[in-house]
Amino acid sequence: MTFRVKRMYAIFQKDLKDLSKNMYIGSTVFMAVLLAALYGRMDGITLELHFMVINMTFAIVTGFIQCAIIAEEKEKNTLRGLMLSPATISEIMAGKSLVSFITTIVTLIICMWLTGYTPASILPIAIAIILSIFFYIAMGTLLGLLSKSVMEASVIVLPVLFIFGFGSFLVGFIDEYPVLKVIEYFPNVQIIDLAYKVEEGLGFGDIWSHLGVIMAWVVVTALITIVVFKKREMDE
Amino acid sequence: MTFFKVENLEKHDKDSILFPTFNLEMAEKEIVAIYSTLNVRHTILGMITGEIPISSGNIMISGSSLRKDRMTYFREIGICFFEEGLYERLTIKDYLRFFGDLYNFKQTFDQIFQLVQLHTKKNVKIKHLSGSEKRRVQFARLLIQNPKLYILEEADLHVDMETKRVLINMIHHIKEGGKSVLILTGSMESAITLADQVFRLDEDGLRKIETETEEVTGKAEEVAQIEKESEIIPIGFNKIPTKVNDKIVLFDPPEIDYIESYDGGSKIYIRGDIFPSTLTLNHLEEKLRAYGFFRCHRSYIVNLQKVREVITWTRNSYSLVLDDKKKTSIPLSKSKMVLLKELLGLK
Repeated sequence: MTFRVKRMYAIFQKDLKDLSKNMYIGSTVFMAVLLAALYGRMDGITLELHFMVINMTFAIVTGFIQCAIIAEEKEKNTLRGLMLSPATISEIMAGKSLVSFITTIVTLIICMWLTGYTPASILPIAIAIILSIFFYIAMGTLLGLLSKSVMEASVIVLPVLFIFGFGSFLVGFIDEYPVLKVIEYFPNVQIIDLAYKVEEGLGFGDIWSHLGVIMAWVVVTALITIVVFKKREMDE
Repeated sequence: MTFFKVENLEKHDKDSILFPTFNLEMAEKEIVAIYSTLNVRHTILGMITGEIPISSGNIMISGSSLRKDRMTYFREIGICFFEEGLYERLTIKDYLRFFGDLYNFKQTFDQIFQLVQLHTKKNVKIKHLSGSEKRRVQFARLLIQNPKLYILEEADLHVDMETKRVLINMIHHIKEGGKSVLILTGSMESAITLADQVFRLDEDGLRKIETETEEVTGKAEEVAQIEKESEIIPIGFNKIPTKVNDKIVLFDPPEIDYIESYDGGSKIYIRGDIFPSTLTLNHLEEKLRAYGFFRCHRSYIVNLQKVREVITWTRNSYSLVLDDKKKTSIPLSKSKMVLLKELLGLK
């Protein structure tokens, strides 16, 4: 067990070092921070704007970094060496996810500080954010498995960015196009609803449904990722 | 003791046979080279890594196969691919530390850095290294893993002299450590220089190529013979015939760079081009002696006029480097080295 943790930690360290020197992928972190800094200077910033920055961070930091670091291993032909080493695929993925996770948390803290967002109650928001990160990591992994290069990864991540990053704008169109009602169940919209309830001072009893929906997204995406991975493995 | 076994391995590609059933056994401290085409080499490597399914036969290391015990299998087999990615943004030290952690490597890296001659570049990012240096980083990674069987794919293709020297020393070091090396290459020169035993693998199966040099006795006679024969060679016809697509092309001996034995006949190298000839090396040797040609190895004849350098890798391994654009190197066997020194009047 300790060897497993050690190997996972080695992959985490390697990817973190690699990421810190990778301007192409690392620049998305600056983009999120820049966006936060710009919005932070506006007056009367609404909860929706706070969460737009947070959702954007999820998409361009968590999703993209996870996707790109997996795609890069494939593109640069380094994955083979890793697969022939004692590290198992779960250790490799865990190490990489940890990199995305920590980068996201750090970026989010900076962003929230810049936009001046302090939730009325920290715990429910923290749980919602962590669950959301899990969802975006699973999504990033899925896209990383599908793309062959970092270039492809940055294109494939665009729809995700659009749907989950800006998706909350589409809520305005629901009255016009009832089909869009599904959007209300998207994790990015759920987290905003949840945040409103938290601001109103409601407890866990009222917000568990939102957490449940986000959790469901995590489970479904993770399952799809595992299925895709198994299928890929069979093909090769 | 045999620890690596290839049993009844074969590969058919549609209608053609890539290679028929063959067996290979390796024991500790053995350096074996398999000389083959690119296609065969990729198939073998794919079968070893499990990327190409094995339809019949088996590959076993220390009693475990890929299917039975993946963990032990890959612990004991270390592969240096010809085309392998490195984490370009990391420094060599960080890169090796990463693999050191993965393989639970406890010693310091100093000895390894020394062995691959990278100790002055420890903190250089991999992307700033030359191709040869990158190859040495790969060697270092393999040394960290320290498997029972090192598999090297085209390890000395397109590398500089320093790297080749590092490679030869490294193979020596591996052998002393009681481990073995399997070399997969498409260059006969590399196979002969690096390995103790050389095999050719193609559609006719796995065949051993004799690399041990002929007996050294009668050396003096031979030299005497050279002089005698050079006198009686008729001036008339002295071109070397080769066959190219049913055409017969004749070459003047001074044009030839060197000749390699091939399947009962020979391959004649002229300015980077290869011309097959049906004449055997023995026959050619006789014909060409008068023109300053020298049988430098059981499988090679070289035009001494074109030799630029004689390189000593270790006490038992030498190469001749030619004066051409590619700086081709040709193996020189130990007994022939003595003969060559005499010829050059160095003794």
